[in-house]
Amino acid sequence: MPANRYQNRIELLQGTLDMLILQTLQWGPQHGYGIGNVIRAHSGDLLHVETGSLYPALHRLEKQGWLKSEWRLTDTNQRAKYYRLTPAGKRQLASERSRWSQMVEAITGVLNPASEVGWS
Amino acid sequence: MSLLRPWSKRRVREEDFDEEISSHLQMAARDKVDRSDSKEEAQYSARREFGNAGLIKEVTREIWGWTSFERLGQDLRYAARLLGKSPGFTAIAVLSIALGIGANTAIFSLIDAVLLKALPVRNSNELVAIGDTTRVGSVSEGSGRTDLFSYPFYERFRERNRVFSDVYASGRSEYLEILPAGGRPSSEVQGGKLRGRFVTGNYFSVLGVPALIGRTFDEQEVHVEGGAPVVVISYACWNRRFARNPAVVGQRISVNGSIFTIIGVMPPEFFGDIVGVPMDVWFPITMQAQANPGHNYLKDTRVSWLMLMGRLKPGVSQARAAAAVRDLAPQIFTELYSSSMGGEDLRRLRQETIQVSSGAKGFSRLRHELSLPLIALMGIVLLVLLICCANVANLQLARATSRSREMSLRLAVGAGQARLVRQLLTESLALSFLGGGAGLLFAQWGSHLLLGFISRSDQTPVDVHLDAAVLLFTAAVSIIAGLLFGLAPALQTTCSDLVSSLKDSKSGQSHGFAQSFGKALIVSQIVFSLTLLVGAGLFIRTLRNLENMDVGYTREGLLLAEVDFKTAGYKDNQVNQLARQVIERLQNLPGVRSATVSENGLFSGTDSETDAEVEGYAYRSKEDKLNGYDRVGPNYFETVGTPVILGRGIGPQDTETAPKVAVINEKMARFYFRQVNPLGRHIFEGDGKDRTAVSIVGVVRDAKQRDLREPVPRRFYKAYLQHRDEIETMNFEIRTRIESSALSNSVRGAIKNVDPKLPITSLKPAAVLIDETLDQEKLVAKLSSFFGLLALVLAAIGLYGVMSYLTVRRTAEIGIRMALGAERSGILGMVMADTLRLLMLGLVVGILAACSLGKLFSKALFGLSAFDPLTIVSAALVIVVAGVTAAFLPAWRASRIEPTLALRHE
Repeated sequence: MPANRYQNRIELLQGTLDMLILQTLQWGPQHGYGIGNVIRAHSGDLLHVETGSLYPALHRLEKQGWLKSEWRLTDTNQRAKYYRLTPAGKRQLASERSRWSQMVEAITGVLNPASEVGWS
Repeated sequence: MSLLRPWSKRRVREEDFDEEISSHLQMAARDKVDRSDSKEEAQYSARREFGNAGLIKEVTREIWGWTSFERLGQDLRYAARLLGKSPGFTAIAVLSIALGIGANTAIFSLIDAVLLKALPVRNSNELVAIGDTTRVGSVSEGSGRTDLFSYPFYERFRERNRVFSDVYASGRSEYLEILPAGGRPSSEVQGGKLRGRFVTGNYFSVLGVPALIGRTFDEQEVHVEGGAPVVVISYACWNRRFARNPAVVGQRISVNGSIFTIIGVMPPEFFGDIVGVPMDVWFPITMQAQANPGHNYLKDTRVSWLMLMGRLKPGVSQARAAAAVRDLAPQIFTELYSSSMGGEDLRRLRQETIQVSSGAKGFSRLRHELSLPLIALMGIVLLVLLICCANVANLQLARATSRSREMSLRLAVGAGQARLVRQLLTESLALSFLGGGAGLLFAQWGSHLLLGFISRSDQTPVDVHLDAAVLLFTAAVSIIAGLLFGLAPALQTTCSDLVSSLKDSKSGQSHGFAQSFGKALIVSQIVFSLTLLVGAGLFIRTLRNLENMDVGYTREGLLLAEVDFKTAGYKDNQVNQLARQVIERLQNLPGVRSATVSENGLFSGTDSETDAEVEGYAYRSKEDKLNGYDRVGPNYFETVGTPVILGRGIGPQDTETAPKVAVINEKMARFYFRQVNPLGRHIFEGDGKDRTAVSIVGVVRDAKQRDLREPVPRRFYKAYLQHRDEIETMNFEIRTRIESSALSNSVRGAIKNVDPKLPITSLKPAAVLIDETLDQEKLVAKLSSFFGLLALVLAAIGLYGVMSYLTVRRTAEIGIRMALGAERSGILGMVMADTLRLLMLGLVVGILAACSLGKLFSKALFGLSAFDPLTIVSAALVIVVAGVTAAFLPAWRASRIEPTLALRHE
């Protein structure tokens, strides 16, 4: 059973989780459970964020000053801890996104050497 | 409060995170219920998907980070757990450190009190002492001096100096008999002897100390000679004599027969300006003649007895003040002494440099006498502390060996090396502070014990208590000690090769240095303690020899009373009459067998010597004429218990009008007469028309009167009634039928009945007086035994540590030996044989060291040589017993090793 479940999942690259969390929060404050769900939904159920990575990451980002947290009620009247982006978090997201696209370009370049001419 | 904040903040954060997790789980479960799972199943699967909550919490907590305080707390809790797990190790280590730190703190608190502390007065750094600060109890009659000053000098100096805002003077008092005014003289005096000092009226204002209750002297009031019979008393005196009764101000007391009124009590911390001699009563200097009848130094330029202390004017340096003093003093010397001193002497006096030094720490003879011994003691106890540290380091090495696998494991799973070193150091510091705390208690007891050694009186000469300086010192020593004995084992443990120690470090050669270091340490400790024990043994035996010496009379049941006739105002012939009356009264007391009188008494501190020519002796040198003498009353020898060998003693028949007689001691008889019969021969004293002759009527046994160690000098005894030398004090010898100290009250009463004004300056059994001359021998014997035992305990602890270490490291070897058929007793014997080898090496070196050191202090010994087999053998035996006891536990443990376990352990 477990083997099947992991079949169509992709391991997150080191460091990308932070970017995904920051990106998810760009649309508004969200709690930890919600962030996990959003990432899964937006990745077409490919990216499952382990709670064991999610919560340390959230606390780490908060400690860095990129997130702020507060307790609020959900639509279903459930108390939950909501995280939102700080201005510093927005800047961090921008820089991580540009780093990510550089990386994608670089990797694509490596994977498709033929198009090298076209790029330069 | 601020210390606790990190903890409460942390707890809020924990709770917050717990709630975050449970909210996550609830939301996940609700979603699953929405997707038509049953509630229980939904909760279960939400929890399963969430994963290991404990682990997540742990990881997240690491993200928060630890404050250094939280880490310290963690380390401390861990250290406490570990120390609690091995109580034996902890107890021995703490005891060892407590002894080391305690000894250091005890000595330091003495050094602090005697050498370092400033007087408890206003701005003590402005005080400047003029003259020799050690001559606190001296009086000198003759020409002018530069170490002590006369009152006329003080008056002129005070008036004319330009560098001090004011200068006070203080001088010693003679013996004081202080009683409640109108109290019966014979009543038992409560609270011991009181010490007083004469001070000028500005004494308290220059020092800047106000009275606790009442007031201090008013300068106008005490200015007139004999005009103001007032005193200020110390807190200690108020406590001892007046039970801290606030109504003491205004009370009248009798001082040597004169009435004084108490006007104030000083605060408890003020002991006067002499460190080591706390004062009880301060008199205006203008009242000297009333408080000390027979003494009046106020007008006398020839009596130098005052110490001077000035307070610097603002902006004046001590150097400038010194120059000003050395400029002014010679002018005053010329004015005072040009008529009485020869030109050459006066010139010399004017050229002598007057000591001008900081008065911040007051005057002290004790400081002068004790500074070198105290610093030497400090050096010794620091050495002792180093030994303690080495011991604990050894104990820790033994433990570190058994913990090396734990450490390697922790390093392997990623613990930082710095973190581990910190953890181990925290353990060491925790030990060190435990030891330091215990050491403080030990020091409290130790410093009072030492003070007791130093001072004979019931009052402590200096105030020793825990103050900031002492606590700071102890804390600093604890930290340094903790680092000393913690760092080496910590580094050794964590720096050891990871792979090899995980495999096995026990048979590795990496600890060879630690082993030989440990053994060398043990051998040197044995040498050290043997030397001290031999020294202690020699001094104890010296003391016994002196105590049990035959003094030439019977010291038990003999009471001695010293009476100061001069202070009471009696002269010449009156003294003889009065002494006769006192003897009569004493003889009629119940419990008294006989009573007599002599000039010098026994061990009173005074002795007499004179040039005397013996009839029929051919003199070769001046020394041949020098003889000791004493003036004694009727039945002196019978009363004291000195056997008369030839002829007779001094009897009642030897009156003023009878022919003058003398009794000589054996030594004198042998020196001058050899085979000739001395009876009837004459002794001549003095020259010209003062020349007197006495005829020898008897020979008595040699008697020790002044010093136990020195041989008895040639001495002759004259009849006290037949001579009219000026006599100040007389000593009465009372032979009692019962325990002599029980009679002291009735003896006091009998003397006071003759004249209540007669001051009894000393009233003690002969045995006590003799015993008191051995104070220094006792101090040395006590100190050397104390440090000898301390060194012995430490050596035993060290031996225990090293043997434990060695046996733990040999666990595998012992296991193999046993597997191959070695008996348990054989293993025990093997370890004990190792111990004995170390002991023997230490003993051989130690005996050599003790013998060569013994030569240095052979002069201090009495009745035995520095090479005393009995002492050396007993010291060695003590060490062997202590060493074998210390090593037995590790050896026994080694013999209990289960071979199978030991081998598997590998």
